[in-house]
Amino acid sequence: MEYYYLGIFLIFIGGLLSIPLAEKYKAKFVSVFSGLGTFFVLITALNILLKNLTISKSVYLPEPIGKVDFIIDPLSAFFILVISLMTFIGTLYAIGYIKPYLNRNKVVSSHFFFLNTLIVSMLLVVTVQNVLAFLIVWEIMSLSSFFLVIFDNEKKEVISAGINYLITMHISILFLIIGFIILAIKSGNLDFSSFREIFASSNFISNAIFILLFIGFGIKAGFVPFHTWLPKAHPAAPSHVSGIMSGVMIKTGIYGILRILSLMSIPSIEISYFVLFISIISAIFGVLYAIAQHDLKRLLAYHSVENIGIIGIGIGIGMLGLAYHNTLIALLGFLGGILHILNHSIFKELLFFGAGAVYNKTHIKNIEKMGGLIKTMPYTALLFLIGSIAITGLPPLNGFISEFLIYLGMLHSFEINSPIILIVSVFAIASLALVGTMALLCFTKAFSIVFLGLPRSEKARSVKEEVSPIMLFSMGILALFAFLIGIFPQYAINLVKNPALVLLQNQQLPVETIIPLNIFKIISVACIGFIILFIFIYALRSFMLKDKNIYSYKTWDCGYQAGNNRMQYTASSYASPFLSFLKPFFIKEFNIKKPKEIFPKEAHFELHSHDIFEYYFIHPAIKINKRFLERFYWIQSGSTQQYILYGLIFLVIALAGAIGVK
Amino acid sequence: MIEIILNILFLFIFPFLFIGLINKTKAFWAGRKGASVFQPFYDFVKLLKKGQVISTTTSQIFAIFPSLVLASVIFAGLLVPTFNHRAILSFEGSFILFAYILALGKFLSLAGAMDTGSSFEGMGASREASFSTLVEPAFFIMISSIIALSGNYSFESLSLILPKSGELGYLIVILGVIVLFIMMLIEGCRVPVDDPNTHLELTMIHEVMILDNSGPDLALILYSSWMKLIILASLIANIIIPANLTILYSALAFIGIISALAIIIGTIESTFARLRLTHIFEFAFIMSSISLIILSLTVISIYKGD
Repeated sequence: MEYYYLGIFLIFIGGLLSIPLAEKYKAKFVSVFSGLGTFFVLITALNILLKNLTISKSVYLPEPIGKVDFIIDPLSAFFILVISLMTFIGTLYAIGYIKPYLNRNKVVSSHFFFLNTLIVSMLLVVTVQNVLAFLIVWEIMSLSSFFLVIFDNEKKEVISAGINYLITMHISILFLIIGFIILAIKSGNLDFSSFREIFASSNFISNAIFILLFIGFGIKAGFVPFHTWLPKAHPAAPSHVSGIMSGVMIKTGIYGILRILSLMSIPSIEISYFVLFISIISAIFGVLYAIAQHDLKRLLAYHSVENIGIIGIGIGIGMLGLAYHNTLIALLGFLGGILHILNHSIFKELLFFGAGAVYNKTHIKNIEKMGGLIKTMPYTALLFLIGSIAITGLPPLNGFISEFLIYLGMLHSFEINSPIILIVSVFAIASLALVGTMALLCFTKAFSIVFLGLPRSEKARSVKEEVSPIMLFSMGILALFAFLIGIFPQYAINLVKNPALVLLQNQQLPVETIIPLNIFKIISVACIGFIILFIFIYALRSFMLKDKNIYSYKTWDCGYQAGNNRMQYTASSYASPFLSFLKPFFIKEFNIKKPKEIFPKEAHFELHSHDIFEYYFIHPAIKINKRFLERFYWIQSGSTQQYILYGLIFLVIALAGAIGVK
Repeated sequence: MIEIILNILFLFIFPFLFIGLINKTKAFWAGRKGASVFQPFYDFVKLLKKGQVISTTTSQIFAIFPSLVLASVIFAGLLVPTFNHRAILSFEGSFILFAYILALGKFLSLAGAMDTGSSFEGMGASREASFSTLVEPAFFIMISSIIALSGNYSFESLSLILPKSGELGYLIVILGVIVLFIMMLIEGCRVPVDDPNTHLELTMIHEVMILDNSGPDLALILYSSWMKLIILASLIANIIIPANLTILYSALAFIGIISALAIIIGTIESTFARLRLTHIFEFAFIMSSISLIILSLTVISIYKGD
């Protein structure tokens, strides 16, 4: 535990000391401290994770917080692993990414302070087991990430996205406060461990509190319909921050849900179906809206919603397994869900970093203006391709392993003798398959339009070189992780075995004998075999072509002799057949200027798709809220005298209150 | 051991014969004598000997995707049971790896098509990606229903429908054959979804994606799409032939069904017109609806006692 505190202290001090430094050295300075800190934190976390330990330490803080327990069990240790490793890679990437922003009168000064504060607060969130302390670090986490989002604060849309994020996070904490207050009043104690009895006492209360907390944590995690902040905040933030937020920070919401689950002995069947249902909806709608996006980072943000949905499906299946007292299903579901947390943080950071690399060189966000970047940025293209294949869930990369575990969990749920669970499972399987194919559509679109073909604009054509080696290095590490987990799944399962056991409330369960681990050994061998087969065929093909004539010629254009880059298929046209088929789920906004006259001079076509949840759920809620709040406009009159009066009234009330209490 | 060798030989040789037989059937309906059944093989060898024309727009993706597609299809073939109801690689949930490894090939072939920067190939890629979103869920509903019915988690469950359930089993087999057949037409790009012989780029799906490929690369692509057909055909044969047949009979039935499928495809191609593109979504939806019927029949057949 001492190493853990030392690590956290180093990360925090690194951030603090970076404030007075010259802008040029900040990132490097911070990454040295973060590297050291991460090292110490990781030692502790891996030790606990692999040896299946639980360590705790109590700290006495002044009233009203009182005794605060810091407990690291395998579940916390797993999240510590994800947080520390992924944020460190993000800090490395930031060294390269931040360069163009230096000495341009930007707020680089405090950026790394907030970055490290975010890392520290996340590390604390997953270890603190006291309600009040938990809410405080949770709030620090939200605030520091808010300052990271508004990095580019000269742009109006960045500020508005930041404010949106800030407000959403406070709605989230509102639900958490309500839920935790009920728990604290009922148990008379602020410790998490004291809530076990409350959850065990009555089914109704346990369900109600779970739903309250699920909404609170779900807003952070980005479950539909609480996802609307993600596609706004991620494009606004700089790429290393979007990577960290999407890859790591939203997972603290999942942590919250899992922690609550670990306090409930057995979740009720209704609540399990509820989680499964919300997750399936999130996965499907996340990827559906991703297909319609033209902004690369917005597209990736919607994919976070999808992947949170997939994680949720795993958790839901695990809960169903618990509720029906079937250990195998529970284990497979939780293993899949927890492994997908790690996997998503790997490939989502990789993709956001790739998107950042592209933005760094082209300064465009709209993918319709990109193209042909594979020629000038081959390494970024390759790494982005690896990320795309991984996020689509295809072998031999890591996304497949976690989805396969979840599929297995759903298949085994047929063993529960109930027609309802059979039908639900089959629909869940079909949904996951649908999500997979839609992700395939989405990422073939994103990768092809950005990197392949001819450049679609002057800015894309003017890219001359790759991004800096440190950025490629950090992306390369992530790609390597994706491969390692994909090719050696049996070891990855070892990593997530103990956290899953925390949720099963049985630390001593012999996992190896319950789940069919040999399948993963077969998959491992098969994946290696597949790669060898591919290399063999490619070598054979190259051998065939050795002494042959290979001509270079332009792309076949059906005899038309004036083909150019504007005639290529665009992202909108690529997605069009599918989206027109799913019309009812979109609110479309056309902006057409038709060609006129005999020799038309200009024409224009623009298409924007809106999120139905935002349109029918969030907007009306805001409208009602606004109508109510408008009645209080008179309070803010703008006259100083009146404000002084408010202050005076407040003082009098506070004094009277204090005397009254005495 | 001998069975594994036969399995592999089947996987590598039958794609040529299957296409040869389809073409022979089409020639018969057109009143021609037609080329020999081995003609696809001669074409394949000829293409392998040729040089290539490569578009200047393309990158490495274009060069590697044909090999990767072939690797993924061969790999998928190893997961599918053939005449002896046993796949070379068989394990719990192998159908998931089967679908996902084929999807990997599809991912790269879509990217390869987009790599040329041609609007025709973009169009083909976009259509192929859109249609496959409907195929996969239906396939998964069907297979998982059959798994629930048979209690076997691998592809071998296909041949266990009849032994495990009563009269309803026959109905499930018939519906399963229809689902897989439609899947074969969509994934294998045959009429009425796509016409492999058409020469108008605007109406094509799969063929238009490979306009710029030539020589050995084209040979690999064609070979892998033929192999995909034979793999899907073996799934159909497996669902029809019950597992409790002796190996000789089931091998004979297997060859018979594969040949019959080739003749049926050839006949459809000679007698039907292609569907309008907008109707292909509806055609693909038939798959999902039938899969849902299979699901409900499964539920009835398992819980009819209650």
